[in-house]
Amino acid sequence: MADGSGWQPPRPCEAYRAEWKLCRSARHFLHHYYVHGERPACEQWQRDLASCRDWEERRNAEAQQSLCESERARVRAARKHILVWAPRQSPPPDWHLPLPQEKDE
Amino acid sequence: MAGAPDERRRGPAAGEQLQQQHVSCQIVLCQNNIHNQAHMNRVVTHELIHAFDHCRAHVDWFTNIRHLACSEVRAANLSGDCSLVNEIFRLHFGLKQHHQTCVRDRATLSILAVRNISKEVAKKAVDEVFESCFNDHEPFGRIPHNKTYARYAHRDFENRDRYYSNI
Repeated sequence: MADGSGWQPPRPCEAYRAEWKLCRSARHFLHHYYVHGERPACEQWQRDLASCRDWEERRNAEAQQSLCESERARVRAARKHILVWAPRQSPPPDWHLPLPQEKDE
Repeated sequence: MAGAPDERRRGPAAGEQLQQQHVSCQIVLCQNNIHNQAHMNRVVTHELIHAFDHCRAHVDWFTNIRHLACSEVRAANLSGDCSLVNEIFRLHFGLKQHHQTCVRDRATLSILAVRNISKEVAKKAVDEVFESCFNDHEPFGRIPHNKTYARYAHRDFENRDRYYSNI
């Protein structure tokens, strides 16, 4: 987390509002139920929106801390699955080369 | 032709990702089996997810059935293949968590289309990797159910520098 005067919320406050609004929509409820078999939990987006606005208006340090913790938890949740394969440092060097018959033309 | 013989990886008769070992890759679309724009979009997305996996990881397409299964789970999950509407058109009716059933089934079918193995072996491979690969939503960060989700995913991608430098 960047400290000091350079810090800003990881997302614009409007993004938190948009995610919360999407999460609460009927269409998202249907998608989430279809995929996960349960209703979506949207409260964290609302808390993050409140924290974002609190920081924007009052530069509240607790709001900053709350936002950082929330986003780190999201990143941890997205990465907690064990990878089946080993990640690359760069793409295969030949991935973009033309096929032999195209090279011969 | 120099190099190893090519291996065709065929989706359900609509698209394939052609890989020639040690040479290059391409996506081939079977126009005789693609009948509308929405289907075309899904097939291209499906194959591009395989291409993405090829570029970002050491995927052993030809000798590791779990690697193949993982990419097929991700492609079925993230391409729209298993949307509620598409499943209803296939006369597969289900709602609660049906998406996961569809992903398992279609991943198994995709493996069987390109590998001479039994259905049980294919299904076992899908089961072993499912928990990990179903929850791997790269590069989207979420399942892009429609254009709104895709737009939000793109927004998050464009915001990634700000995001990771402020958490």
